[in-house]
Amino acid sequence: MSISGKVAIVSGAAQGLGRAFAQRLVSEGCLVLAFDVQQEVMQVEGVTGVIADVSKREDVERVVKQAEAMGQIGVLVNNAGTWRRTPVDSPWEQAIADWDFIMDTNLKGVLMLSRAVIPLMQKQGGHIINLSTYYVLPAKSDGTNGPETDLYNASKWALNGFTDAWAKYLEKDNIKVNGLCMGATDTAMLRGLFEDNTLPPEFAKTVMNASDIADQMIEVIDSGRTGENIGAWVGEPITIGEQPPLHKRITG
Amino acid sequence: MVELKGKNAIVTGAAVGLGNSYAHALAVEGVNVAVCDLREEINDVAESLKQLGVSSVAWQGDVSDPDHVRAVVDGARSAFGSIDILVNNAGVWGASAADDDLDKSIADYELIIGTNLKGEYLFGRAVIPIMIEQGTGGEIVNIATDHMVTCGTPYFCCPGLDACPWGDSPRPTGGGETMDLYDASKWGLNGFLYGWAKALAPHNIRVNAFCMGATDSYMLRSFHDFAPSTEEVDSWMRAEDNAQAMIDMLKEGPGGRNAQNVNFCVGRPVKLEPSHDHVYVIESQVKLGGGA
Repeated sequence: MSISGKVAIVSGAAQGLGRAFAQRLVSEGCLVLAFDVQQEVMQVEGVTGVIADVSKREDVERVVKQAEAMGQIGVLVNNAGTWRRTPVDSPWEQAIADWDFIMDTNLKGVLMLSRAVIPLMQKQGGHIINLSTYYVLPAKSDGTNGPETDLYNASKWALNGFTDAWAKYLEKDNIKVNGLCMGATDTAMLRGLFEDNTLPPEFAKTVMNASDIADQMIEVIDSGRTGENIGAWVGEPITIGEQPPLHKRITG
Repeated sequence: MVELKGKNAIVTGAAVGLGNSYAHALAVEGVNVAVCDLREEINDVAESLKQLGVSSVAWQGDVSDPDHVRAVVDGARSAFGSIDILVNNAGVWGASAADDDLDKSIADYELIIGTNLKGEYLFGRAVIPIMIEQGTGGEIVNIATDHMVTCGTPYFCCPGLDACPWGDSPRPTGGGETMDLYDASKWGLNGFLYGWAKALAPHNIRVNAFCMGATDSYMLRSFHDFAPSTEEVDSWMRAEDNAQAMIDMLKEGPGGRNAQNVNFCVGRPVKLEPSHDHVYVIESQVKLGGGA
């Protein structure tokens, strides 16, 4: 199913991966609604930019209503995500605040946006991409998740439940659902992990480019595959690879 | 094998089903058990545990409520003097589909994610600083589902097990198509399992999860309107057997497995199987006393 001429919604599209996804979808002929909490989303070329927070229901409903007015929604990229260090021995009030900070965007936001879009997408089919982390893939990620990332990792692990169940439930509606599980990619989120928001020079040479991941996303869409977590690793060709056997689809 | 007698535990969701069996099995071993549940009957559970010769205290409340969690954890520590074992068992199930409306979906999120994922997070985060401060190690067991494992974990097909019913055709992960929030809540526990195990290995605190298949429990009977057929019940695992597996794992102590999803699928013996190789963490990072 061609996505040209269809409406695509990209969350968290002001910079980094989301911006790359939005621009790539424009080049595929999509009418792109790109939204973000950051003002810079209004400067992304070729898209309809909207300032909105995926963790807020009223914002989600506003975004989807606007997208619906643009035409048939054929692509949803659940990209918006947030991260911060969450040490296991944080003070109690901090631990509670961390839950809301991470989960409201990374999990509840994905749920709300998808639930709002799916009934509109069921009419003609479409594609849903959930952005995750390669931490959830066992083949090459062992030991890489830091001990101070319990909530971020939990939020991404939880997306497995969405990707798997949605792929099954929405098969009848010709809606394909996949996860993209990223290794280190040159994004604002990654830069934010380092002093002065600057990647160490040697590390900077190794990280992946957002535009390459955007190409991979298009490859996933074109493949028609569904219910998979597809990884991208530093230092390796960025490809969707062979279709794995059923019992490994969601786990690498 | 370590002695459990005299240790102090918290078991969440202990009024019925697996949680109730875990609490009783711990009490039989001489462990003092603090219990909590939404159900009023939780107070009767504490009384029945006391009949086994241990101390027990109970709270009625919702594990997704931080104030309730604080009350249970602080209350248990006050009553027992320390907390050595946390069994993060409380959980709910409800059908949720990809095209549910937003009102239902948000309510489902608060209930299912709130109980199954946030509840385990809050209890873990309340207990962990206490266990670290005590300096005597500890045990955290999260209760998950076999939906998030295949046969063992990915890349294993019941290694070395004669009784594996799936043989060379591993069972796929995932539950039903209307289980997106339930499965998300349980998959999410992996973030805690691996993150906590790494962070807590230097403190001699183990973190493991039991990934439960169909077990004769309140939750499962509720799916059958509390009138399951004899054939159905016969096919289910018994909560008492699983509770014994829990005791066997706790008795492994600091030298035992860590950061593992222990899988209990219908069709296999309900007993503690040997530890398997890690795929999500490096062994040395979760070795107790010398971790990351």
